[in-house]
Amino acid sequence: MSSEMMAVDYYIPLIMFLIVGALTPIGAMAVVKIISPLKPTFRKGATYEGGIRPIRDALIQYNVQYYLFAIVFVIFDVEVLFLYPWIYIYTSEVIPKLGGVNIAVLDMAIFIIVLLIGLLYAIKKEALRWV
Amino acid sequence: MIFSDYLSLFGAEALLTGLALLIIVLGLFMKNKNLMGCLSLAGLAVSMYLVMAADQTKGAVFYGTMQIDALSQFFKLVFVTVALIVVIAGLSRYKNHPGQDEFYGLLLLATVGMMVVASSMDLISLFIGFELASLATYALAAFDREKQNLEAAMKYFIFGSVSSALMLFGFSLLYGLTGTTLISGIADAGLADMGPVTLIALLFVIAGFGFKMALVPFHMWAPDTYTGAPTLVTAFLAAGSKKMGFVAAFKVVLIALIALRMEWYMAFAILAAITMTLGNLVAVWQNNVKRILAYSSVAYAGYIAIAFVVVGAAAGQIDGFSIAANGLAGGLLLILAHAFMKTGAFVAAAVVAYMALSDGKDNPDDIEHYAGLGHRAPITAFCMLICLFSLSGIPPTAGFVGKFVLFGSAIDAGLVWLAVLAILNSALSLYYYLRIIKYMYVNEPAGGKISEPKGYVLALVVALVGVLGIGFFPQVFVDLAYRAAEVLLL
Repeated sequence: MSSEMMAVDYYIPLIMFLIVGALTPIGAMAVVKIISPLKPTFRKGATYEGGIRPIRDALIQYNVQYYLFAIVFVIFDVEVLFLYPWIYIYTSEVIPKLGGVNIAVLDMAIFIIVLLIGLLYAIKKEALRWV
Repeated sequence: MIFSDYLSLFGAEALLTGLALLIIVLGLFMKNKNLMGCLSLAGLAVSMYLVMAADQTKGAVFYGTMQIDALSQFFKLVFVTVALIVVIAGLSRYKNHPGQDEFYGLLLLATVGMMVVASSMDLISLFIGFELASLATYALAAFDREKQNLEAAMKYFIFGSVSSALMLFGFSLLYGLTGTTLISGIADAGLADMGPVTLIALLFVIAGFGFKMALVPFHMWAPDTYTGAPTLVTAFLAAGSKKMGFVAAFKVVLIALIALRMEWYMAFAILAAITMTLGNLVAVWQNNVKRILAYSSVAYAGYIAIAFVVVGAAAGQIDGFSIAANGLAGGLLLILAHAFMKTGAFVAAAVVAYMALSDGKDNPDDIEHYAGLGHRAPITAFCMLICLFSLSGIPPTAGFVGKFVLFGSAIDAGLVWLAVLAILNSALSLYYYLRIIKYMYVNEPAGGKISEPKGYVLALVVALVGVLGIGFFPQVFVDLAYRAAEVLLL
């Protein structure tokens, strides 16, 4: 019984935080709506684009090739994600040695070689040439 | 652990991975790519030798996440054999094809993924193997780039992704419940009490595997994908990829979740009964031979799923261990048999489609094109005949051995109703198999004799040798299956 009480106690700050967090933006927008003068003009309603006047609609068609660029980008993005924990542990004592070679270095070398083969494939198939 | 140990235990996978990458790189620089098929053939033959050489060894690599034992070697043998037959047929089908390096590369990578699943003892490595095989086969299903290929690949991709997501969610719940992803660790945790979380985890894991195994009601993708994909890829999907679902389910359900057997055993009994009945009933009405074989493949998933039911029902009986071993060995034998006979049947269907297309007919898989096949393409017709007999379970073929052991164990386990239903279903299936045979040998030929492409013929002969070999010398394969079954039960 006491452990359940403690579990609920533990969540009370979280629940309060959620309620306050949800009310803050709603309250702020409601206050603005009530006290601010409202005089809409065309320029006020326009999309804010760093101060420059927007030239056309955002919904345009762009080349399907962008998709291939995005995929190749994601592959290397994920590679970096793997490299971070690897950097943290590759010199540590627990990593076994395989015939004098640090096995973590070997594993990462294999991983990067496979990725480079993928990059070579993308280049040779002209996936990265913008036409 | 020294380097040579890794090589002897993991050499087959390493070889195939390296070869797949080599084929992809070579394909970028070479003009004549007919070498790729021979390279894959040689690689698969060597890895088959490595798998068989490691048959008696037992060992774990990669910190216990991969285990080499009789079970893993049994399934690797199935996967490598199927890939080998498909590559042999591919030598004819994709000769001078500009993208054949990609075909063989993807096929080898898919085989590696399945082999990884076969030896995984950890949910994470199991999932990675699953995904490697799935991603490679998604691309293969669209390989010929025809309209029905794309439809098949799209359906396969969407259903496959959803099933992967379900499976992964189930795995994450299992990890949350037990604090480990090792299959043996989950088994030790003994999830005996059935809370809502356990129920959802079990449901999601069974649904995720059910998609891959094509159990009703998770089978909807299978007939469309099998019909639309290139026929050789269909052979690989039906005979290889589906078995990957079974080995994964054997490991997770029979080892990790054995404490919950009372819960999943009835679920699998109902799924098995519905799957085989629906598969056979729908197959009767089809006129497209690839679709008939696809529904027969769904029915086979139902038969093989009886193995789960037998293990669940046998637990607690007096000679429960030997009944469970019988049931699993029967399931494994049926998996091996199905690999040979389904690959053979689909390769034969590929020959007929090739013949119909060269006659200028559209709808190349229609049963009309099988008229008089016994005269037009005698070797293909004969191999198809034996494979169909084997599928319906007529002795002395592989299908008979598997069904005999499996259905017999179901009777021993007290599941007489399930065994009777399975036998009635086998009798029903004979109707649509005999219908194809009637077209092949009784109906008037629709054209003159054709020369059968050499690669297809060789692939058919390999499948035929497998089907008849298991049928005539069952003891060798029964022993192999028993040793594999004991790994799961001990």
